[in-house]
Amino acid sequence: MTEKTEYRGSIHQRQKDLMLAWYEKLDRAANTGDPPTVSMMISGNCVELLEGFGAVPIYPEVNALQLAIRHQSLDPILAAEELGYAADNCAYVKADIGCMLKGITPTGGKLPTPTLILCNFVGCNTYLKWFEHTAKITGAPLYVIDIPFMRTDEPMKADVEYVVRQLHETVQKLEQLTGREFDFERFRQAVDCSRRTEDLWSQIKHLARSRPSPFDAYFDAITLMGPLYVHRAKPEGVEFFEAALAELKAKRDAGQGVYEKEHYRLVMEGPPPYPYFRTFRDMFAKWQACAVASTYSTVGGLWEFGFRHDPDKPFESVALHMLEQNVTNRNYLQRYEQIRRYVEEWNADGIIIHFVKSCRLFSAGQGDMRDYFTKQLGIPTLYIESDLEDPRYFSEAQIRTRIDAFFESLEHSKATAHWT
Amino acid sequence: MRIAAGVDVGSTQTKAVILSDDDGMKILARSLVDTGANVQKAAERAFDKCCAEAGMQTADVGYIVGTGYGRYKIAFGNTQVTEISCHAKGAQFLSPAIRTVIDMGGQDSKAISVGPIGEVLDFVMNDKCAAGTGRFLANAAEVMGIGLDEIGPLSLKATRPVKIATVCTVFVESDILSYLAQGKKGEDILGGVHLAIAKRTVSLARRLNIEPEVTMTGGVARNIGMVRALEEVLGRKIEISPDAHFMGALGAALFAINKLDQSFEFGTWKGDHANRGGH
Repeated sequence: MTEKTEYRGSIHQRQKDLMLAWYEKLDRAANTGDPPTVSMMISGNCVELLEGFGAVPIYPEVNALQLAIRHQSLDPILAAEELGYAADNCAYVKADIGCMLKGITPTGGKLPTPTLILCNFVGCNTYLKWFEHTAKITGAPLYVIDIPFMRTDEPMKADVEYVVRQLHETVQKLEQLTGREFDFERFRQAVDCSRRTEDLWSQIKHLARSRPSPFDAYFDAITLMGPLYVHRAKPEGVEFFEAALAELKAKRDAGQGVYEKEHYRLVMEGPPPYPYFRTFRDMFAKWQACAVASTYSTVGGLWEFGFRHDPDKPFESVALHMLEQNVTNRNYLQRYEQIRRYVEEWNADGIIIHFVKSCRLFSAGQGDMRDYFTKQLGIPTLYIESDLEDPRYFSEAQIRTRIDAFFESLEHSKATAHWT
Repeated sequence: MRIAAGVDVGSTQTKAVILSDDDGMKILARSLVDTGANVQKAAERAFDKCCAEAGMQTADVGYIVGTGYGRYKIAFGNTQVTEISCHAKGAQFLSPAIRTVIDMGGQDSKAISVGPIGEVLDFVMNDKCAAGTGRFLANAAEVMGIGLDEIGPLSLKATRPVKIATVCTVFVESDILSYLAQGKKGEDILGGVHLAIAKRTVSLARRLNIEPEVTMTGGVARNIGMVRALEEVLGRKIEISPDAHFMGALGAALFAINKLDQSFEFGTWKGDHANRGGH
């Protein structure tokens, strides 16, 4: 029983076109110096601010994952290791540094030296070193926005003020570096575009509550995530997500799921193993198991529970997004709560935790997370280990055995549920 | 009478079991071969040997379930079930009170929580390296120049087991060489080796709720030193079946019998309550 079902609607082509147009802009910037570019981390990015300068974001993580999914990540990783990076350093970092050294890009075009390296590190303090190294290699200026980690349920007022103050400093910095005056109205409009995109994206996420879900909220959601980071604050982002919502809504209304029959509904925690993306997806397709929610799809922003950027408070809402509304800056209890809500409100049968070997920062504690869900809440939870970027950590036979055994066990408990 | 087989293609050895459901479930034959480089051939050899042992033709076997890491390579098998489900099924069949299975094989170890009808409630596996597995013991035996069958009994003679700091299958060799150079006794070194694995395995198993009764399955269950070390660290008795090594193949054969009487099929489970007088 092998089922290889993958949804290929018009949104996939639109997504490709949008991402290609972005890479072409970066290539142009590399050749002509225009438009200005800013390197950022995906999680907690402030792409809206860049719009006030007509600047384009560079996301090293997107470049790294594009390489991995095209099976091209090992060479740059090895190049970085030759330089002295350790085996257990973040593989995204190594792939990115290796690419810089070897001049590799996922599309073959050029990547520009950023006008500014803006280290908006949230949760991931590896980013500090990553961007320091990038600055050293490229010679680009580095500015760090210090985002305090979530220590309370809501961000503290002082934290919001602290981040807003730094955003204003970033504006000054960018004015100096680009020679352009900050266009506040354009920034406000960008924040409004984000609000609309987020509303559409949230509606898409909620479609997965239907049975069957019209799309896989892990594997298919990844297709939608590129435009979310790059085009969120632009009219073309709004248009893209309008089209995506219409297409998926039509599927939902027609009762079309990802599989002929949706056997299992899952919540996924952690990023996918990009070097084996297809193999990994097929392991779930075999069991007709559909992800109805995923934490990875909230790395760039968490909107399905109501948060939106606010054009009436543009700086404050950007600060709130950076502080609280992305998965990596949230503490473990908030992460537990997010997953628990997914299981309950999206009606999932179980949870899959994918531990990333080269990301101790985000993965440490997932063993306890598994214990919490299995022992305290009684939710079947599978824990598997590999890597998001480094193909050497993926042991296919071992992962397949774990996944098959998990579904065999679910099959058993589903079938016998009426006895107990 | 239905006759079915289970073939467990492990990393080191391949096991086969033939079962009949005539007059209660009965094991007709068992076989064991080294897996070697050709996984497909190993499965064939184990199955042919088992049929010969049972005095029957391969065509007499109504259904074959493959398990173990090489389960998808068994060309003649009808379907595949993971070794995790098979060990749980086999162990609980032989001893209905079993609730925890510790399976230690050549290259991996697992702990499995088992429900009252042999279903897997939860499981954990070792990391993908061979730390804490049969391979670790095999390396230790080789470095010390002692047969694999002898290291368990010898380890029981340890009076002052050494501390083995590493659980790395490769680095353990240098640890052992250094103890040998210090003039430590062989039994004390082996006592330390067994304890190191036992501690690692128990810490893995404790991620589950370890409920009694506990059994150990897989090839390493034949090593009495390992069983005693696990009992010591776990603080409770471990039941060992004479068929511990064949547990995966036995569980697979039980699934195969269930397939024949249509009480079980992954995807269309009908339950095996018929075998147990209903619920």
